[in-house]
Amino acid sequence: MMNTLRWIVFAAAALAMNFPIIVTLVTSFKSARELSVNPGLWISQPTLENYLRVLTQTDRFNIYSYLWNSTVASLIGTGLAIMLAFPAAYAIARSEAGKHTLLPIIVNLRAVPLIIFAIPLYMMYQWLGLLDTQLGLGLILTIVNTPLALVILVNAISDVPLELDEAAKVDGANSFQIMIRIIRPVVRPALVTTFIFGFITAWNEFLFGLMLTTNKAVPMTVGASFFFAASGGGVQWGTASAVMILGALPPAFLGLLMYRQISGSMISGAVKG
Amino acid sequence: MAIVRRAEGRAYLTPLVGFLLLFLGFPAVINIIYSVSTVDFQTLRSPTLSGFGNYLAVLADRDFWRAIFFSLRFGILTALIECLLGLFLAIFLAPLLSKRSVLMAPLMLPLMVAPAMIGLMYRLVLHEFAGPVPYYLFEWFGDSPAFLDVAHAFWTLTVVETLQWTPFAFLLFYMAYVAVPLDVREAAALDGASAIKLLWFIELPLMLPTLMIAFFIRFIDGFRVFDNVYALTGSGAGGSTMSLSIYIYQAFFKEGAIGKAVAASVVLFLASLLVLYSLNWLAGRRRT
Repeated sequence: MMNTLRWIVFAAAALAMNFPIIVTLVTSFKSARELSVNPGLWISQPTLENYLRVLTQTDRFNIYSYLWNSTVASLIGTGLAIMLAFPAAYAIARSEAGKHTLLPIIVNLRAVPLIIFAIPLYMMYQWLGLLDTQLGLGLILTIVNTPLALVILVNAISDVPLELDEAAKVDGANSFQIMIRIIRPVVRPALVTTFIFGFITAWNEFLFGLMLTTNKAVPMTVGASFFFAASGGGVQWGTASAVMILGALPPAFLGLLMYRQISGSMISGAVKG
Repeated sequence: MAIVRRAEGRAYLTPLVGFLLLFLGFPAVINIIYSVSTVDFQTLRSPTLSGFGNYLAVLADRDFWRAIFFSLRFGILTALIECLLGLFLAIFLAPLLSKRSVLMAPLMLPLMVAPAMIGLMYRLVLHEFAGPVPYYLFEWFGDSPAFLDVAHAFWTLTVVETLQWTPFAFLLFYMAYVAVPLDVREAAALDGASAIKLLWFIELPLMLPTLMIAFFIRFIDGFRVFDNVYALTGSGAGGSTMSLSIYIYQAFFKEGAIGKAVAASVVLFLASLLVLYSLNWLAGRRRT
């Protein structure tokens, strides 16, 4: 009896929380004609025409370009964040350097609304010619990803037994060699989680994409909104739905693939942060 | 035996510190200089110092206070609902989830989708002709409210934010709930504690730090909300959904009021420092 109730609550929660995704998925398989008479949750004549249109008619809005920009910027934003955070995390975990000042500052950075840096960054980018470039967006995403990357990696490296380092040191390895040859392979799972988590965060970022890109480097989250601003005859709901499903697919896929690890690191990031 | 000498440690920290100084430290300095200067898009590189006029303009701006009020109300309300719902789901569904962890996946999916995308999706969901919600409301009740007008936009956005981020609170609470040691539970059961008493006197107190952290994180995120609000309503509905982040964005990009936008940024910066500082102080006190 109680168990049935639990199932009902579970189903209701899952439905309510995923409702916009379900509606968008359903709409993306409806023709414009069907949608005008049937906005409900069933499909009488499923069609792929929306996806075909999005993937073949790229003269006005090019979804491949948005997907590519998001991919490149997210890879830069995640890769660079790890490259900066990993040595720093090693130093923090294995020496006193940075533990008492730098780590708390960077951890607290997560609670500072990044928009307060947006205007000077915009002006800085204008001077440096980084506006509307994948690199420029990637550098900002690095900032977004750094705090959590640092927290996850400091936790992971602190969990590695010090005896491993000491044994390597006795064998004559210096600290850089220990970091690369000993620590890096051991904390590989944490590095992978950091990467996946960072990639999802970067892909889903919107504010800086909106402000710092206009045309060449527009990421998927911003590009998707273009399909809603389309003038003349209102929004093509089927097309827009297909765009949103395609744009949400990469992070959703990665997330569902790794949801166990991600929930774990979300906890450590939140609790230690 | 120290593995990393102090000087080496500093060297390993240098790239990160340098990057942060360039991308956050330098902008912070620009913020402070420009906030006490007269500047527009023509004189962007040569601001003239002019005192605290920008701050006075911001503090005298009714829209600024309105935005602060919106952000505060939105942050507190969404954080509160998310934590209550998340706590209920975590405890009530725990027996189900502990046996089948795959059930976590649908509850975590909303966290993987960009808030901006979710905002756009709700444009469809709530659209008066194409959206299923108005469609079914008309079908069943013969009427459907205008979800995005002045009277309803705040509550619509609250529901949108809450439904997407309840999973976050749920996830934290579920992890904390299953982490309550089994022997503690058994000891309480042996002493004849009922399930309600166990929850109230043992489990909830053990989960309290997590509850506070989740509330804090969700409050911060709700307070600085931008993506889903902007995607769904803009500052729309007569400015009734202008969060502080949107206020700064609009002042800069729509009005070109650089000084005002920057001064508002500094105010927001100081406010978040104050909140962080007092929270750290509180946490420090709790520990001792």
